[in-house]
Amino acid sequence: METAQLMRSARFRAEREDSWRKLEALVEEAERRGLHRMEFDAAKELAALYRQVTTSLAIAREISLDRALLDYLEALTARAYLSVYAPQERLGGIVGRFFTQSAPQAMRRNWAYVVAGIMAMFLGAVVGYLLYLEDPSWFYVFIPGELAQGRGPDASTASLRAVIYDEHSREGGLGAFATYLFSHNTRIAIFVFGLGAFACAPAAMLTFYNGIIIGAFMALHVERGLGYDLGGWLSVHGVTELAAICIACGGGLKLGTAVLFPGDLTRADALREAGRDAVKLALVAALMLLAAAALEGFARQLIQDPVIRYVVGWGIGALWLAWFALTGRTKT
Amino acid sequence: MIRWRKRTRTSRSDPSQLVPPEGVPVHLKIAGVGVRMAAQITDILITGCAALAVVFLAVFLNAVSMIGFLAIASFAFFLIRIPYYVLFELMWNGQTLGKRIMKIKVVSHDGGTLTTHAIVLRNLMKEAEIFLPITLLLSLDASSPIGSLIGTMWVLMTLAIPLGNRYRRRLGDFLAGTHVVHLPQPILLKDLASGRAPAAVDGTEFSFLPYQLDHYGAFELQTLERVLRVEGNVDQVRHNETLSAIVEKIRQKIGYADAVTPNNRTAFLKAFYAAQRAHLEQRQLFGDRRVDKHHATAEKDP
Repeated sequence: METAQLMRSARFRAEREDSWRKLEALVEEAERRGLHRMEFDAAKELAALYRQVTTSLAIAREISLDRALLDYLEALTARAYLSVYAPQERLGGIVGRFFTQSAPQAMRRNWAYVVAGIMAMFLGAVVGYLLYLEDPSWFYVFIPGELAQGRGPDASTASLRAVIYDEHSREGGLGAFATYLFSHNTRIAIFVFGLGAFACAPAAMLTFYNGIIIGAFMALHVERGLGYDLGGWLSVHGVTELAAICIACGGGLKLGTAVLFPGDLTRADALREAGRDAVKLALVAALMLLAAAALEGFARQLIQDPVIRYVVGWGIGALWLAWFALTGRTKT
Repeated sequence: MIRWRKRTRTSRSDPSQLVPPEGVPVHLKIAGVGVRMAAQITDILITGCAALAVVFLAVFLNAVSMIGFLAIASFAFFLIRIPYYVLFELMWNGQTLGKRIMKIKVVSHDGGTLTTHAIVLRNLMKEAEIFLPITLLLSLDASSPIGSLIGTMWVLMTLAIPLGNRYRRRLGDFLAGTHVVHLPQPILLKDLASGRAPAAVDGTEFSFLPYQLDHYGAFELQTLERVLRVEGNVDQVRHNETLSAIVEKIRQKIGYADAVTPNNRTAFLKAFYAAQRAHLEQRQLFGDRRVDKHHATAEKDP
């Protein structure tokens, strides 16, 4: 009785215990229902009581030696902190902002990395093309068997043509879509992005290698006089898909440069900073890969005329470019 | 001197300390690799079951043929799990279902708000860290030893990264600037020093003189508090032995002349706790912070 009245920390606790209990209830409600579904007054009170309890904690650390009280205040402050500083964004807003602003802006900010990715693939294609013309047996060196699907220097021109103008699709549309999505190119894109963090080289090399494959393929068909037809076949989905790989490569290169040249930051901080844009590039690439798989699964079987194939493929490519170049510009 | 230096170094780099914008550091215990693995497995089971249900429904309705079954199943799994992690962590402030069950949570490493960017990034990296290695390991065949070697190396590396840092952060946590903590449970216990001052069985109160309270510091006080809070299913005989040993030790140390009978032990300890705490808190207000019973010798140490 006397000790309790004399002791500062016990008095301190008795005076504030009610507001702590109240905060406890509010925190539980915020965690259960979410901050944005709470009454305005309750949310306001939560914020005010949270600030009070941080002060209580700071004071208690100074004046009290009661372990139970300190532990309780620690836990309560931490819980209140976590629910007060919860993400406040609405889902629709996030998605909308990504499409109209952050994605195209990130693409424009990092055009140099994307161009570097395109250059890596283009150079690879040139090298693959020239090497094939020099000696067709290079084809077997570069291209794994399952990707070629029987197409190669030994295949007849007629069978090559049959693959390009395939009248009967082998599988249903959706099955084919899913299969293509997890095909070679998607895996390449994931690796190209992820490996970029290891000092750029693996990303650039993998993109280059992918270019070699395309170059060798082109050379094979051009030699047989099917260059124009292959172009159409590839255009339908390839414009989108190869661009996605280049963009993924750009994101990977961005991470790699952050590791190589962190500037004034530490490497971890530089990587985190670069990650802000790189992850947007990766999301754009993922979106384009999804679109490419849909084109490959559905459109390529439906459209057999090479001219329309060119128009559709490059038309969609132009749409992507328009999205990157035109949307999300703010007047300066 | 050496001891003092050591203490500041450990307190500065305590990984469980997080500083909110209010500037009062709070303690959030870092979640270990085991509990996070358990949460992850729970999440994989949930999303996997959802994907299987969707695919079986589609097969049942004859929407898809059985030919592309595996591809469609993995595609459904992919389509479900990508938004699953991001949406749940956005909605529940850094908790998925698995994390909620395990009572762990993602927090921003710098103490600020958990941003959308951070949540998206750490969960996309999960694809590269966890699901890619898993699919690689599942699709490994003996014909490509180099592929399986690279796959195994990658798996070992991603698993080793959280073990290599004190915050148990994986690669995605590093990029997103987050780490995972245990959710603290606020439980307010009764104040041992509140209420009536404990008295002996015959009604006399224990009183202590100031010089008797100069021996101990905060560490001993809080150890005594822990002993006094022990209740419920403990071995009563052993507990009584402990209490008796503590009473004798204290009496000897502070020079308390009167004997304490067995049924007065708890009352004596409670009274001593209250008096000692009042004394130490008062000293602390005057800037004399007594960490433990060595406070007198530590002060002389330059």
